Amino acid sequence: MSAAHSSPMAAPALVEARDLAKTFGGTGFFTTSLPVQAVKGATLSLGRGQSLGLVGESGSGKSTLGRLLLGLIPATGGTLTFDGQPLPPEGSAAWRALRRRMQIVFQDPNGTLDPRRTVGSQIADGPALHGLGRSAGTSDRVADLLALVGLEARMAQRFPHEFSGGQRQRIGIARALSTDPDFLVADEPVSALDVSVQAQVLRLFHGLREKLDLALLFISHDLPVVRHLCDRVMVMYLGRVMEEGPTRALFEVPAHPYTRALLSATPRLDPAHRVTRIILPGDPPSPVKPPSGCVFHTRCAHATEVCRTEIPALRPLAGRTVACHHAEALA
Amino acid sequence: MNRKLVMPGLWIGTILVVAVAAPVLGLPDPVKQDIARRLAGPMLGSPLGRDEFGRDVLSRLIWGARTSLAVAFASAFIAAAVGTALGMIGAWKRGWVEWMTVRSMDVVLCFPPILLALLVVTLLGPGAGTLILVLSILYIPGFVRVAYGEVLSMRANDYVEAVRALGAPTSRILLRTVLPNIAGPLLVQVSLCVAAAIVLESGLSFLGLGVVPPSPSWGLMIRGARTTMAQAPWLLLWPCGALTLTILGMNLFCDRLRDVVDPRTTSVRSRPRLIDRLVPGLLPGHDPARDAVLAVDGLTVGIATPRGVVKPVEGVGFHVREGETLAIVGESGSGKSLTATAILGLLPPVAQAIEGTARFAGRDLLSLDEEARRRLRGGELAMVFQDPMSSLNPVYRVGDQLVEAIRAHGSVSPEQARARALELFRKVGIADPDRRLDAFPHEMSGGMRQRVMIAMAIANNPRVLIADEPTTALDVTVQAQILTLLKDLQTDNGMALVFITHSLSVVAEIADRVCVMYAGQVVEDGPVGAVFHQPRHPYTRALLAATPEGDELPTGIGGVVPLPQEFPTGCRFAERCGFAIDTCRAAPVALREVDEGRRARCIRSDEMARLPEAVA
Amino acid sequence: MNGKAAKWLARRIGGSLLLAFLVVTIVFFTLHLVPGDPAVLLLSTGGAAPSQEQVMRLRDKLGLDRPLIEQYWTFLSGIVQGDLGKSLQDDYPVASEIALRLPRTLELIFAAVIIGLAVGFPSGVKAAFGHGGWFDRIASGTAALLMAIPVFVVGTLLVLAFAVQLRWMPAGGFTPFSQDPVKHLTLLTLPALAIAKGLAATVFRMTKASVLDVMTRDHVRTARAKGLTPRRITMRHVVRNALSPVVTVVGLQIGTLLGGTVLVEYVFNWPGLSSPLIKAVEGRDYPMVAGIVLTISGLFLLINLIMDLLYAVLDPRVRP
Repeated sequence: MSAAHSSPMAAPALVEARDLAKTFGGTGFFTTSLPVQAVKGATLSLGRGQSLGLVGESGSGKSTLGRLLLGLIPATGGTLTFDGQPLPPEGSAAWRALRRRMQIVFQDPNGTLDPRRTVGSQIADGPALHGLGRSAGTSDRVADLLALVGLEARMAQRFPHEFSGGQRQRIGIARALSTDPDFLVADEPVSALDVSVQAQVLRLFHGLREKLDLALLFISHDLPVVRHLCDRVMVMYLGRVMEEGPTRALFEVPAHPYTRALLSATPRLDPAHRVTRIILPGDPPSPVKPPSGCVFHTRCAHATEVCRTEIPALRPLAGRTVACHHAEALA
Repeated sequence: MNRKLVMPGLWIGTILVVAVAAPVLGLPDPVKQDIARRLAGPMLGSPLGRDEFGRDVLSRLIWGARTSLAVAFASAFIAAAVGTALGMIGAWKRGWVEWMTVRSMDVVLCFPPILLALLVVTLLGPGAGTLILVLSILYIPGFVRVAYGEVLSMRANDYVEAVRALGAPTSRILLRTVLPNIAGPLLVQVSLCVAAAIVLESGLSFLGLGVVPPSPSWGLMIRGARTTMAQAPWLLLWPCGALTLTILGMNLFCDRLRDVVDPRTTSVRSRPRLIDRLVPGLLPGHDPARDAVLAVDGLTVGIATPRGVVKPVEGVGFHVREGETLAIVGESGSGKSLTATAILGLLPPVAQAIEGTARFAGRDLLSLDEEARRRLRGGELAMVFQDPMSSLNPVYRVGDQLVEAIRAHGSVSPEQARARALELFRKVGIADPDRRLDAFPHEMSGGMRQRVMIAMAIANNPRVLIADEPTTALDVTVQAQILTLLKDLQTDNGMALVFITHSLSVVAEIADRVCVMYAGQVVEDGPVGAVFHQPRHPYTRALLAATPEGDELPTGIGGVVPLPQEFPTGCRFAERCGFAIDTCRAAPVALREVDEGRRARCIRSDEMARLPEAVA
Repeated sequence: MNGKAAKWLARRIGGSLLLAFLVVTIVFFTLHLVPGDPAVLLLSTGGAAPSQEQVMRLRDKLGLDRPLIEQYWTFLSGIVQGDLGKSLQDDYPVASEIALRLPRTLELIFAAVIIGLAVGFPSGVKAAFGHGGWFDRIASGTAALLMAIPVFVVGTLLVLAFAVQLRWMPAGGFTPFSQDPVKHLTLLTLPALAIAKGLAATVFRMTKASVLDVMTRDHVRTARAKGLTPRRITMRHVVRNALSPVVTVVGLQIGTLLGGTVLVEYVFNWPGLSSPLIKAVEGRDYPMVAGIVLTISGLFLLINLIMDLLYAVLDPRVRP
């Protein structure tokens, strides 16, 4: 990793979450859907200049956690602070003012922009809403932002359909950066892109991270993608955090059986990098009816009786945190 | 303004203008009776004659239009304003507000429209005012539903979430971002309501319960003319015609507007033009692999467009041997999926294989008739698709769909077929196969559905299995399961596997040989190890560098894949290539043999061999 | 039937009953929520104000002097017992009038639905498979025209053509089936055709669109990849899947169809529910109007419930 971020732990935490939980649905008076526990017991802290990779398969709750941390959806449990303060209630003036400091980049390059407005006016929305850039002139600011993401200023007058997927993704990034945020959540920003374009956008994120002193939460289902970009990686499964730790350590010596299986299942270009593949049996269980105890026990080769009954706590182990009863034994 | 809207727009516009201009057209008084001229035919000053009270028919027709259209437009716009507001608020606030604004509207929809109208007319008495009130109430739920549905689906759009994340207040989001984007469907609803209101107004007036006589109205005119239809049938035809033509114009306008607003429901589809298939194999081509079970040569797929034939796949050739896995790899727009579907004869109707051969078991698949090809498909030649949800028929049990595949190729009794299906389910690793046979596709997970698709494909022991991105829609742990399964099946059956993917890493995991496609052409092929180790085409090299692996930050490729209608004459990759020189752009580059069993489409491929290794 | 399905069915039926209750409530309160004295309102047909005595008599007859909640309760319990009150015009029980005339209306609707489906569905499938061909063009044009002609216009023109000009059959009327079956069916034909025209046109359009849509789905490609015969693909994988949206449309169309029935009965003098209804609206006979509106709305809810269940039979994804 780059030298500028060699001591990330020294920075004061900007985003702090403890035991954060989110349950969707449930039996309200007007709703009758089954409750879905999307996220449970998520604890993390992220400071300026740090980047955390959030990795998991579909249904792991990684996108929900990202939106929880941004305050875009209210949590149903746990505590969350931003810059030492709890988040104001959703929709309030204070909440809206806080939007300036936390932003999001989306996955789908086709849905990320309003098809009926020029990209320039969409990038100018943020500064206008928060009274930024009036002195400098909005069009200058839009031009600067476009330049920052590698596009030309004259493109501001065009509509989204005139751009390629990779370019639209860049514009989405420019919009997110338009308010000079401190905290940026990137929700699978490269998953829908072809590999040649994906690499370009990854490089853009890498450069921005060094330039802007952001707290970056990078969500992906693909482990290799976060490897180059993030200082730390957090692995989620069925709404629970399985393991969190420094990127290199986690990739080289995964402590949780799920992390290990995920890594071994990732296809490799180079036969030399290939490890013995662990094939997980079956499919991830439904989040409507998560398994008892450790949620991973139904597919884990090392599961014992205690895994079926007791929920493993997230605990520190060799410079990282792991939620596995047998982590020491498996090390 | 879209060209499609011009004709119905003019039609409706003319009727509107005439109706609005009625007072200044110098028409006779539409209510002035002249019993002496009762039922008179056409005459000076009354080109359409007189009605049963001697009133001027043309004047009544035009003034009637005025009444009908005023009632229809007024009620449609009132309903639109109220309904849209309620629907938008309901969708945005959810909870009890949603219940009050949206669900409560369902009650209005429990009454057949005309009956609710009659109920209100009983109380308030007939008249234009009552009509506008009733019609507005009737059409509000429609707008609530449209606005509600549109806002809900809009809310899921990232760009709405983005505006919210930027801190915009709700009112601004609704008015600036949501409303412009749902304006189309709302406009369609307005025109639908206007048409429906005209029908309902005329119907009520016809019953004598709508517009009060002597005011002119088309419904009232038909009611009046009915009594004298034996003596003066034309009196009936004028208002009937006017009414029908107006509604026809309105309906046409709605249909066209819907097409313009929502291209998904476009009713006019481009029809394929017949392209004569050229005689295949005119040139005695070289034979790269005599022992290949499937050998494709010079395959070109053409799509007829108004500007001529575009060729998203051009001159593609590859072969695969028994027990071998060939990967076809490329990014979106490379033509890899079209190639596969062309071989099986499964191209969408707009596309056709216009050149080339695909030799399979001594026959050319591309020149076979459809019936012969059908017998091969699902038998000796099988295919697995990308999205296992949409590829299975949602209304049948998976077991029945599998049995169908078995019985399509041989006379097997239902019991035998079921036993075979059970065996196949075991083979593809479906736990509890007996029960799973009776499941519907939506009751299974993505990985399980893909296993069903594979079971269907191998049901008749195919010699070649073509798998088109079979793991792209799956999670990585499930992908590992499916890749292992395909490998195991191949070891058992000795079938040839053509694996189409966009992921070089997956190619490295599963394939023996690889065929790299770019912009509709094969740019390089050969054994996977050799190709990845020392690619002979810059595109392969760039793709490898863009794949995230190891500690290096991946490097992207600038620019985009050209569209089929914009393919350059020279090398198609030249615009994005770091090695391109002027010669590259001058003329088409041939795919040539660069090494034992390796081909590349690059004039500098020899220099490529001297570059550092691509994959360490 | 397993327990889950029974519960689901009970929920659907419960939902329909709740809607029926709301319909009854709305019909009751419509009379009372209108501004002013409902009795005065019902009596003010001409310009002259009704006399005090008339108003008092009507108030007494409708029970308007009793507390609202008591009136509501009487109304509700009456409906449960099949008592819909008495006509203001001739004191005849509303329920008896409906019992006499409802079967005739039902017969008409039934005939119209059969004709509409029998014409609309097959022609829709044929047009989709020959998309852009001569049959498609003619049928689509006809459907567009049929949709544009209001149902009472079709009825009136049918009378003009077949009864007045050609004199093939009478202009309307009714003969009981038991008296003269042939005449009964002859008289049924024109009104049933008039009502069916809208349904036929809508079903045609929807079927065609639905079949065209299903033809491009991935699962049809799978069926082809399996090597099934074109006939089997058409019947099992295209037409079968195209049914569900058509059922939805038929459900939505029923409201219009019931409304059209009122107009067509009037045009052809068919002695169903429509003639007492129109007479009652003209004479401001609220109990009679309310009774008939409730009956037809109940029919509407029932048909929609059946359509819902049919939809679940056709599409396993919406089953419990």
